[in-house]
Amino acid sequence: MSSNHSPLEQADRATVQPGANRLLRDTAAELERSGWRHQFIAVWTGRFGRFGPKPRDASPEQSETRRWPALRALARNPSVVSGAALLLALLLIALFAGRLFPGDPLDIVAQPLLAPGQDPQYWLGTDSLGRDVLAELAHGSRASLAIGVTAALIGVVIGTLVGALAGYFGGWVDDVLMRVTELFQTTPSFLFVIVIVSIGHPSMTVISLAIGVTSWPTITRLVRAEFRSLVQSDFVMAARSLGFGHARIIWREILPNALPPIIVTTSVMVATAILMESALSFLGMGDPNVVSWGSMIGDGREMLRTAWYLTALPGGALVLTVLALNLLGDGLNDALNPRLSERS
Amino acid sequence: MRFALPPRRFMVACMAASTALLIAGSPIGASAADVAQPVHGGTLNFVVDPEPPTLVDLTNTAVPTLKVSTKVTEGLLTYDFALHPGPQLATSWSVSPDGLQYTFHLRHGVKWHDGQDFTSADVAYSIELLKRVHPRGKSTFANVTQIKTPDAFTAVLVLLKPSPFLIKAFSASESPIVPKHVYEGTDPFSNQNNNAPIGTGPFKFVKWVRGSYIEYDRNPDYWDKPKPYLDKIIVKLIPDAPARSIAFETGSVDLGGNTPVPLSDIARLKQNPKLGIETRGYEFEAGVVRVEFNLGNQYLKVPAVRQAIARAIDRNVIQKTIYYGYASVLNSPIIPESPYHDTTPTPYPFDVTKANALLDAAGLARNGDGVRFTVIVDPLPISDIPQRTAAYLRSALAKIGIAVTIRNQDLPSYLRRVYSDHDFDIAVNGMSNLFDPTVGVQRLYWTQSIRHGVPFTNASGYSNPEVDRLLEQAAVEPDEAKRKQLFGQFQQIVERDLPDINLVEQQQVTVYNKRVHNHTTSPDGLDSNFSDVYLSP
Amino acid sequence: MTSSNLKRVALRLRRTGAQAIPTVIAVVVLNFALLQLVPGDAADVLAGESGSATAETMAMMRHHFGLDLTLWQQLLTYLKHLSHFSLGFSPRFNTPVMTLIMARLPNTLILMVSALVFAIVAGIIIGVAMATWAGKWPDRVLSFLALVLYSMPGFWLALMAIVLFSVKLGWLPSGGDMTLGVNLTGWDWLVDRVSHAVLPALALASFFVAIYARLTRVAMLEVQRQDYVRTAQAKGLHPLFITVRHVLRNALLPITTVAGMHLGNLLGGAAVIETVFSWPGLGRLALEAVQGRDYNVLLGVLLLSSMLVIVANVLVDLLHAWLDPRIALH
Repeated sequence: MSSNHSPLEQADRATVQPGANRLLRDTAAELERSGWRHQFIAVWTGRFGRFGPKPRDASPEQSETRRWPALRALARNPSVVSGAALLLALLLIALFAGRLFPGDPLDIVAQPLLAPGQDPQYWLGTDSLGRDVLAELAHGSRASLAIGVTAALIGVVIGTLVGALAGYFGGWVDDVLMRVTELFQTTPSFLFVIVIVSIGHPSMTVISLAIGVTSWPTITRLVRAEFRSLVQSDFVMAARSLGFGHARIIWREILPNALPPIIVTTSVMVATAILMESALSFLGMGDPNVVSWGSMIGDGREMLRTAWYLTALPGGALVLTVLALNLLGDGLNDALNPRLSERS
Repeated sequence: MRFALPPRRFMVACMAASTALLIAGSPIGASAADVAQPVHGGTLNFVVDPEPPTLVDLTNTAVPTLKVSTKVTEGLLTYDFALHPGPQLATSWSVSPDGLQYTFHLRHGVKWHDGQDFTSADVAYSIELLKRVHPRGKSTFANVTQIKTPDAFTAVLVLLKPSPFLIKAFSASESPIVPKHVYEGTDPFSNQNNNAPIGTGPFKFVKWVRGSYIEYDRNPDYWDKPKPYLDKIIVKLIPDAPARSIAFETGSVDLGGNTPVPLSDIARLKQNPKLGIETRGYEFEAGVVRVEFNLGNQYLKVPAVRQAIARAIDRNVIQKTIYYGYASVLNSPIIPESPYHDTTPTPYPFDVTKANALLDAAGLARNGDGVRFTVIVDPLPISDIPQRTAAYLRSALAKIGIAVTIRNQDLPSYLRRVYSDHDFDIAVNGMSNLFDPTVGVQRLYWTQSIRHGVPFTNASGYSNPEVDRLLEQAAVEPDEAKRKQLFGQFQQIVERDLPDINLVEQQQVTVYNKRVHNHTTSPDGLDSNFSDVYLSP
Repeated sequence: MTSSNLKRVALRLRRTGAQAIPTVIAVVVLNFALLQLVPGDAADVLAGESGSATAETMAMMRHHFGLDLTLWQQLLTYLKHLSHFSLGFSPRFNTPVMTLIMARLPNTLILMVSALVFAIVAGIIIGVAMATWAGKWPDRVLSFLALVLYSMPGFWLALMAIVLFSVKLGWLPSGGDMTLGVNLTGWDWLVDRVSHAVLPALALASFFVAIYARLTRVAMLEVQRQDYVRTAQAKGLHPLFITVRHVLRNALLPITTVAGMHLGNLLGGAAVIETVFSWPGLGRLALEAVQGRDYNVLLGVLLLSSMLVIVANVLVDLLHAWLDPRIALH
C-alpha cells in the first residue's frame, strides 16, 4: 500500500525523533509481513492512517491530559453508546437470570418440544428434553459472558506480557519470543483449543484457559510494536537515566501509554472468545453442567426442520452479544483515534 | 350351487379381493415376511454411519464394520428369529452329546472372489485367527483346543469343556470365514484385504472412496444361484443425522440401520407413504442402557444409597422423553427377547418419598442448599443417548438431594477413566447382550472380569462369589432348562445387590424405502449378506 | 518482473525454505508433547468402537501401531519418517497419512479459496460503496450490516442458510460435497459440485466480508487523499477509471496480505463449517483425528497448515511485488 511508503519518504526528509526513520520503516515492513490479525487490529486502531509525527511521542504529562478529551469523545460516539447500552442490558440479564428464572435451567420441567406460546407457563416453549427455553436463554448469557471475559483477560495478560518483553528488550529476547508467537500462530487455534480441552475435560475453567492460551498471539504483535516505538521516546530515556528498573519502566511508564489499542483489542478478543466457546459447545465439547447458547444450538440442530426456532433464538442472542462488543470496540477505536474519525 | 359370476371371473375376483385385503391389511413391519416374487436388477443405496474403519469384521467389530463386511465375507451358519441355526457355508452340522465336538460339513463348489476354492483349510485357519485377533474371539472360542480337517469339506472343532453358546457364534457378523491364502503369513491388522476384501459372499468389493462411499457389485459366480438379486450396492457415508433424514425423504438413500435418523424424526418419517420403519433385526446386538456404580465410592458403596437412587429413577420418563418411545423398560441385565430373561419386577420401584427416607435413615442429611452429597456422572460418548440419560439423571437425583455434575469427554478419555484408572463415580452406558448372556452379560458381573485397561468389562468392582458360581456354571451347562434357572437366580441377585441399575432396552430402528424387500429376514437384520434383497421396479 | 526482482524472489524462497525446517521441527515437537498429555490412545478408540476387547488384542494393537514404544522412540520414529517425506500410518483408517490428507486437501482448498474469493469480491464492492458515500447514510448502514455479519457465528449462519435455502426453498443441497453414487460428467458434474459448495463457502466467507470491506474503505479513503490521485482528477480522468486503476490497485495490497494470512489459518474455522455440512475436508479430518487419538493424522494436518501459512506468506510477497513495484522484496 503506497501510503506505507509515502510517509516513509516524508519521514526520511522530515525532522523527527532520532531513530524514528528506522522505526517507521520497521513498522511499515512489519505490517507487510505480519499476521492477518495484526493487520486487522491495525485497521481497528487506525494504524494505516497514523504515519508521520506521532502525538504519542509526547511526555507523560501531555499524554495524561490527552485522555480527558478522549473520554468526552467516547460519550458522544454513537457506536460506543449503543454498544455499551446493549452490553449493559445483557449484563443485567446475566446477573438477574437467577432471580428471574429460579432453579436449574437444565431441569426437565415439562413435555418436550412444546411450541412457543403453546403453554402460558413457558413463553418460548421447551426443548427436546423438556427444558424451559426462555430460562435457558437467560442463563446462557452467564456462560457466554463469563467464559468470554475470562478467556480474553487471560489472553490479554499473556499477550501483553510477551509483547512488552519483546518490544522493550529487543535483540535475542525479541527473536525468541517472536518465534514462539509465530509457532502458536501457525497452529489453527480452534484445533489447539480442542486438544487442550481433551487433555482436561470440558468445564468452564478449562475452556476459558484453553481459549485464553490460544488467543494471546493476537495482541502480542500490537503490544510489541507499541513498546518498540515507545521505548525510544524521551520520557523513557529520562526514566532510565534516573535509574528506574526495567519492571518499573514497563509497568509505570510505557504500559499506560500503550493502553488505548490494548483496550480496543480486548473487546475484540472477548467477542472472539465468545464465538469460540459457542463453537465448542455446538460441537458438544462444552461444559454439560452449564447452559450455553452454543450448546442450545447444537441440541436444536436435529430439529432444524420442525423447530428451527430452537436454533434461531440462541443464535440471535449470540449475535446481539458479539455485536454489542464489536460496536463498543469500534466506537472506542473511533474516539481514541481522531485522525480516522475525521474522515467519516 | 349357482354362482352369480361365471367361474373364471369369480376366481379372478376372489384373487383380486384377497390381494386387496392383503395390501390393505399389511402392517408397516411386514417386510420381514415377504419373500415372494423377487426381481433381478437395481442399485441399493445403503447408508452407514460412522464410516467403518475397516471392511472386514476380523479385527474390528464396530457397528458399521458389521454392516459392510457381511456382504462380502460369510460365516458358517445363519439364524432364524428363534435363533435356530441354518446353513450358509456349512450345509449340515452336528454337536456331539457331550458337547465337546462340533462337526461342520461344508458346501461344495464355493469359490473365493479371486477364483480359488473354498475348503475346510480356510475354516480352520479362520477360527484360529479369530481366536487370536478378534475382539471377542479369545473368549468365544476359549474352550476350542483343536480344529481338525479330515477332508476338504469337513471341519471338526474339538473342545476341552462344553460351550453351550458356541453354536450361536457362527454368523458372518460374529465369526467371518476369511481366505487363508490371503491372510496366511501376514499381519492380520495391516493386511490390505481389510480395505479391499475378497470373500465368498454375494457381492464383490469394487472401490472405497474415503469419506464418501463404498461400492459393491453383484457376484455372478455366487454359490446360491440365482441370488443375489441386486446389481449393485452403494454404501453412502453421511455423518450428519438430519442429513440422513433428508436423504431418505428425497430417495437418495433406500435403507439404513441402527436408527439412522434422529429419534425425533421417526414419527414424521412414518407418515411418509414411501418409507417404512422396522424394529426387528437387532436381536444379536440388542443391549441394555444402564447406570453403573463405582463401588469404591464412599457413598455408593452403601447399599441404601444405591437403592435410593434406583427408587428416584422413573424408567417410563426415560422411555418416553429420551427414547421417544423406542425403548422397553426393564430392570434385568438380560434383554426381554432372550430365553433367559427373568421377568421378576424390580425390588426397588419408583418412589421418591421412599428414596428420601432411605437416605435420611442412612444418616446423609441435607445441608443448607438441600444437597446431601455430590457425584460425578460420566456418560459414554457414543451417540448422544447416554448424555441425555445423564441429563435426566441430574434432574431426578436433584429431587433426592444428590447434586450431579456431568463430565463430558471423548471416547478414549472415557475408556481410560472408567476401565483403567477407575476414576469415576457413576457411568452411564449401554452394553450389548451379544449373542448369548455368557458372552455379553457375564463380563459385567464376573470377578475375573475386573481387568485393568480392557474396556467394557466389570468396572464397578462388583464381586459376589455366588454370582461367580452361577455364571461359571451357566457358561458350561448344556441343559437349557438348568441354564435358564441359573441365569434366573443370577438376575435376582444382581437386581437386589445393585452394582448397576438397568434402565431400558433401546429399540434400534431400521428405516427403509418400501421398494426394498427382504432386508430383515434374520436376527442379523442389516448385518446379513443381502442375497435375498430385491427392489421393486 | 525485473531480473533483480527475480533474484530477490529466489533469495527469499531460499531463506523461507531454510527457516521452514526449524519451524517444522518445532511444530512437531510442540504438538507431539501436547498430544501425549491427552488421555487414551488409538487402541482404546478401536477397542471402544468394537464394543469389546481382550487384553491380548489391545496389546497386539498397541504393538502393531508402535504405541508401546517410549515417547522418545515414537518422536524419533516420526521425525525419521518426516525426513523421508512420509507422514506415517494411520491406525484408524489403516492407510498412510499422506494418502488421507491428499484425498481431502483438494476439498478443503476448494472451500477455502472459493470462500476467500467471494469474501474479497463482496468486501471490495461493499468497501467501495462505503468509501464512495463516506460519512453519509449508505456508509453507515453498510458499516452496520457488515458488523452484524461479522458478529454472527459462522456455524449458526450456516444452519439458518440450510433452513432457508435447503429446507424451505429446496434450492440447494444441505450437505456433502457431491451427490453420491451417480456418475455425473461434464456440465452436470460441475453444477452438482458447485451447488454443494455454495452454502459452505458463503458461511465460511461471511466472517471475512466485513474485514475486507473495512480494509477497502480505509485504504481507498487514504489513497484518495494522495497527490497523484488529485492530479489524475485534475487531469479530467473519469472517476471510475481512477478508482479502478489507481485506488483499487493500492487497496488490494493490505487485502491480499490479510487474505494470505487468512488462507493459512482457515483450517480451524473450516472445521466447524465442514461438520455442519458434512464436507469431507481437512478440518473435519483433524477433529476426527483428535477424537480418534490418531496422532499421525493430526500432526500431518497441523504440519500442513504451517506449510500453508509459509506458502501463503511467500505468495503474498510476490503478489505485492507485482502490484506495487516500489515495494522492495527483502
